[in-house]
Amino acid sequence: MIRNFRYFLLYSFGLLPLLMLKAEPEKDLWANSLVQIESTRHQYEFFQPWSRRTASNNKFGVVVEGKKIATTADYLFDHTVLRVQKGGRGSWYEASLHWIDYHSNLALLDIQDPGFWEGLQPVKFADPVPVTGEAKLIRWNDGRLETRRLEINRLRMGRSALSYIDLPQLELDSEIDGVGWSEAVVYGDAIIGLTTSQSRSKCTAVPSFFVEEVIDQVKKDQFRGVGYFNFYWKRAENPAVLDYLKLEGGKRGVIVTEIISIPGHETKVKPKDILLKVDGFDIDIVGDYADPVYGNMMLERLATRGHWSGDKVPMTVWRDGVEIELEFELARADYSEEYVPSAKFDMPPEYLMAGGLVFQPLTEPYLRSWGSEWQRRAPVRLVRLKERRPTEEDPGCVLLSLVLPDSYNLGYQDYRYLVLDKVNGVKITALPELKEALDHPKGAFHVIEFLPGETVQKMVLDAVQLKSATQRVMFDYRLPTDYFVGSGDSEP
Amino acid sequence: MMAAQAAEPEKSVIQIFTFSQEPDWDEPWNSSPVRRATGSGFVIEGNRIMTNAHVVSWAKQILVRRFQDSRPHLAQVSFVGHDCDLALLEVADESFFEGLEPLPIGVLPEVRSVVNTIGYPAGGEQISYTSGVVSRIELINYVQPGNRNLLAVQTDAAINPGNSGGPVMMDDQVVGVAFQGTPGLENTGFFIPPPVIQHFLKDVQDAEYHGFPQAGIRLSPLINPAYRQYLKLENSNLGARIDTLMSDSAKEFLREDDVLLEANGYPVAADATILYEGNQVHGGIAFSQAQHGSKVPIKIWREGSEIDLELPVYVNYKDRLEGNQYVPPKYFVYAGLVFTPLSRDYLTSFGQNWSAVAGIGLLYELFYRKNTEPDKARSEPVMLSTVLAHPVNANMEIRGRVLVDSVNGKRIDSMNDLIDAIESHEGSHHLIEFGERLGFECLDREEANKVNAQILQTYGIQLDRQL
Repeated sequence: MIRNFRYFLLYSFGLLPLLMLKAEPEKDLWANSLVQIESTRHQYEFFQPWSRRTASNNKFGVVVEGKKIATTADYLFDHTVLRVQKGGRGSWYEASLHWIDYHSNLALLDIQDPGFWEGLQPVKFADPVPVTGEAKLIRWNDGRLETRRLEINRLRMGRSALSYIDLPQLELDSEIDGVGWSEAVVYGDAIIGLTTSQSRSKCTAVPSFFVEEVIDQVKKDQFRGVGYFNFYWKRAENPAVLDYLKLEGGKRGVIVTEIISIPGHETKVKPKDILLKVDGFDIDIVGDYADPVYGNMMLERLATRGHWSGDKVPMTVWRDGVEIELEFELARADYSEEYVPSAKFDMPPEYLMAGGLVFQPLTEPYLRSWGSEWQRRAPVRLVRLKERRPTEEDPGCVLLSLVLPDSYNLGYQDYRYLVLDKVNGVKITALPELKEALDHPKGAFHVIEFLPGETVQKMVLDAVQLKSATQRVMFDYRLPTDYFVGSGDSEP
Repeated sequence: MMAAQAAEPEKSVIQIFTFSQEPDWDEPWNSSPVRRATGSGFVIEGNRIMTNAHVVSWAKQILVRRFQDSRPHLAQVSFVGHDCDLALLEVADESFFEGLEPLPIGVLPEVRSVVNTIGYPAGGEQISYTSGVVSRIELINYVQPGNRNLLAVQTDAAINPGNSGGPVMMDDQVVGVAFQGTPGLENTGFFIPPPVIQHFLKDVQDAEYHGFPQAGIRLSPLINPAYRQYLKLENSNLGARIDTLMSDSAKEFLREDDVLLEANGYPVAADATILYEGNQVHGGIAFSQAQHGSKVPIKIWREGSEIDLELPVYVNYKDRLEGNQYVPPKYFVYAGLVFTPLSRDYLTSFGQNWSAVAGIGLLYELFYRKNTEPDKARSEPVMLSTVLAHPVNANMEIRGRVLVDSVNGKRIDSMNDLIDAIESHEGSHHLIEFGERLGFECLDREEANKVNAQILQTYGIQLDRQL
């Protein structure tokens, strides 16, 4: 009886934990690999570029080999403090950026405190990733590890969250709200993606194979940036188009329609070329190639499939009735190579204030100040400049964004959103040029000219009084500085 | 006679019934269903009925009825000025005017004076009278053309649909033609004042309506003391700066940075306004008072000296596509591809949210490019508005609502360019290029020519073109 009783006790106290362990191994696995990240960031007000607010966001990251945390780059920009927390509760540890790339939307964090790493395990990245079936989304929710069901829809190419290039994306169906904070998407015991966005019931995630490829390059100190094909193409579904281009050997390939010019980049394809092969893969008439692992994928994938910016990718094109072999140099995704940059991360908005006139470079973040419908609400002339490509002579533009009223600028108070052409006879494409031009007035005046078609073509300022007026306006409107360019010591 | 008229001006106020049909700008051979509408008008000298242009726009039939007389009479438009929203009607049956006294046109009323409207607004069958004060007088946008600002008078007298074209009276004289309101604002109606009415009546005296001319300049305030000093001009409230020269005439006679001191005898203030009949209004009115082709005396300040000039002023016909037009849309159908000019009318056919649907590219092309990039601007941009499906075009990826850049290597600046580029081409394929990252499409020329008539028949299109 006693034996039996003892046996019973052992059974009672011993098996229950065993059952719990059996029920929870997956949770333990992710609890030791998924961390919460707190990012406190500057939020800039582009209509008053010297003004800033602070915002804080929580997101997630996963432990990777080499004592790093991998996460998406979104919401890490303009940060002031980064902290991480393990186990969904308890102490926060100070973190720092080890590496970040906004185009690929990935980042690695360092945590110096050795105590943080105790008990943490690096995750396993799935490669290949499954493209159908059921996956799980894992995230910390109020100290509890939340596991939710996801349906894998497909692997496709889509616009990267913070860039203008297309990258591989895992598309998932989910009934969960508030997804897109780099939650882990897992399949079995491996990560298959980090979430990037959600639109209704559709979530997207950067797939694990891409995360792994990028991290591998970073670890080897070989990351050169994500490359892309700097041209537009159209499908070759209209046989009349292929006949016109005298293509022989049946319908295939896609047609190059426009080159995205980049100063200093020699783009070897031309409009009306038929793109037949890229990196050894045949391109079909809708722009897909047959990926050995994932099946039909859009040809843009071939710019990142084992390639990085600057790599030369072999191509076969049909041009003027003959097949041509060429090597296409992958362009580097770089915001500074846009006429109106899509983004300028990790720096306050640049501006120059002179006599109450506020000048700013035209950037997409500035245009986004008009809200989510900025493309419709911002002045058409400004939005249209997004289409312009930079040249060596005209790499960008500066606008008079607003006037802070002062006796000095009387009569100009309503001037705004006017793109500069010349100041004191000098063409202006960037703030340093403007600063320099204002050092060289035309006699007693500064003559400011705007681009043709602007609502005003010209204004004149008193050159002698400019300095004192600038000081007065800075004081009256509490500007920390009259000039801020770049992220150096002059930060306001 | 005058005493009788003074007592009963309503006898000369006419009720107008129209049956109109607007074109479908997307499929320009089609029209909207016939729409019935009512408006008002009044008899003026010469057995004519004055009303608003918008009352009779697109009318297939116009019927007019006298005060307390149920007999309808057929009327037709003799002159229409869409830019000033005025029209003159004639009635073939001369007996219509028997016993009707023409209402005399008065002068611009002063602000705060009391005016009465007479007309046939919605909400009843009988004639209606309202009264109110003249609230303000200034240049406003006339909705009928959409892109013209002319003098108008704001009143708090109720002006409702159906009042349009009716007289606004003061001291037994017409001081305005009721014409538009402002959605969302209460007690704000607008009427067209005598200076605009008289300009219209004078214009048609030669049996041809031209319109209101413009100086072809953009005036900018000249308030900043530094700018005035830069132009060697004393720091006073006189003179506005000529910022942009837009018309050929302005380019010939004026220079940028000339200062307009006087226009048509009116001193021009530094904020680019003039004092017109006691009202501070934009200086543009000094030029629009003149008739098309006449010369307006101006005084300018150039390089430290005053200069007297006579500036010829003309009606601007070049911006017609940017405003509402009242002529049937041009189109050309070839192999199921429907081409039509890019115009405001065309874009508004996209629906209430038309500007968002059209997108920046088309808005820029229509409204901005001529100013920002005059060398690249097209006089009549051409759209591929839709593609009528047929095997000859079924594989085309582009199905419409795109701007045509070139056809068979020829840049397309107008519908005539397009037709010529297609009809004069002898190659095996037509190449149609769109720009804006949209690329191009091709059609087998022989096939296209073969099926063209069949496509027109299938889609019930009588004529392949309307130009």
